[in-house]
Amino acid sequence: MLKRGNFTSYFVIFLVISIALFGISKTGVLNPVTSFFQGGFVPLQAGIYGSFSKIANFSQSSDIKLLKEENINLSQKIVNENNILQDNKALRDQFETLNPRSANLIPAQIVGAPGFLPGISTPETLIIGKGEADGVKVGQAVVYKDNLVGQISKTSSFVSEVNLVSNSSSSFTAETLQTQSLGVVKGQGGGQLILDNVLLSETLEKGDIVLTKGDVSQNGLGIPQNLVVGRINSVSKNPSELFQKAEIKSFLDFTNLTEVFIVANP
Amino acid sequence: MKLSSLLLLILALILEVSLTTIPLVFLVLLSLAVLYKEAIIFPIAFLFGIFLDLFTFQTPGISSTILIIFLFLVLLYQRKFEIATNRFIVASSFLGSFGYLLFMKYNDNLLLQAVLSSIIGLIIFRIIFKFKDQKLK
Repeated sequence: MLKRGNFTSYFVIFLVISIALFGISKTGVLNPVTSFFQGGFVPLQAGIYGSFSKIANFSQSSDIKLLKEENINLSQKIVNENNILQDNKALRDQFETLNPRSANLIPAQIVGAPGFLPGISTPETLIIGKGEADGVKVGQAVVYKDNLVGQISKTSSFVSEVNLVSNSSSSFTAETLQTQSLGVVKGQGGGQLILDNVLLSETLEKGDIVLTKGDVSQNGLGIPQNLVVGRINSVSKNPSELFQKAEIKSFLDFTNLTEVFIVANP
Repeated sequence: MKLSSLLLLILALILEVSLTTIPLVFLVLLSLAVLYKEAIIFPIAFLFGIFLDLFTFQTPGISSTILIIFLFLVLLYQRKFEIATNRFIVASSFLGSFGYLLFMKYNDNLLLQAVLSSIIGLIIFRIIFKFKDQKLK
């Protein structure tokens, strides 16, 4: 049996080193060292995550996969059509054209998505294999096709962390496509999303698509306008409450994503 | 502690940083601490805690501190009663995982994760125990 004195000295020494390291790391002095290790591990992490995704996807029938992809494409078409209609109206009414800048996208491979049960439970964050060296900055939006995936929350030289839209700390303004009701989308964790703070006078309809309202800062960071958040699943309206809210279901299956795109210049 | 233990720790580290929030590194370290009762568990916990922080975007040092403190508490109990038992492993895995997950803000299905951790902890403990037993024979 190990005597108490034998391990107490080890415990004290390594506890002091750990706490000291934690304190030093907080100042940012060790950032080059941490970036070096993170960069070296990215290919292995990406390989493991990629292999696991393939195994998880293999269990899904190809028909379901095809339908999911088709669903995403159809939602994209509805949004595009609506944008064209709005553009057309603006052209006719005001004789001016809208000229939206094409978004500058950085493709990024997902190298980690720690969730409770891998491939089953929705992760709260994603780790992607692109960092500051590739032009990634905290606050940039992350998309897949026209769907919002999340926002960059942490970066180092070669890897970054993405806070998913469903993360409980995620919150941004949004509006519905058909009724144009304004509200705030709040992540609930576990893949759940709600559209909250919608005035009772506004209309929320089941099946309506929720789009981002757009919140980009002067330095170009933030969530661009008209990205798809999801579809309204149910509406909760109580006359005694100040606001109504709706439950949203994203078109994306966050557990099966392998690649995403960072909006570098909205 | 042998090379196989180190390999098991590396495997747990890779799985934890890529796929799951279940604290696999902690569970392997717990079993190794209980079975081998060697002071070298502290430098190993320190090292793997650093790697865990690096690859999960935590501030380096936070996981090491939690792991070291918890392993110290576990080893303190060995003077009071036998700790290399299934019951102790289940209880300590559950409590340790619960605390670790809470501290690291992995709050999704916290209780369920802690229960699953205690089951995985027991399986890891039995595997290492059997392996150690065979080596002794």
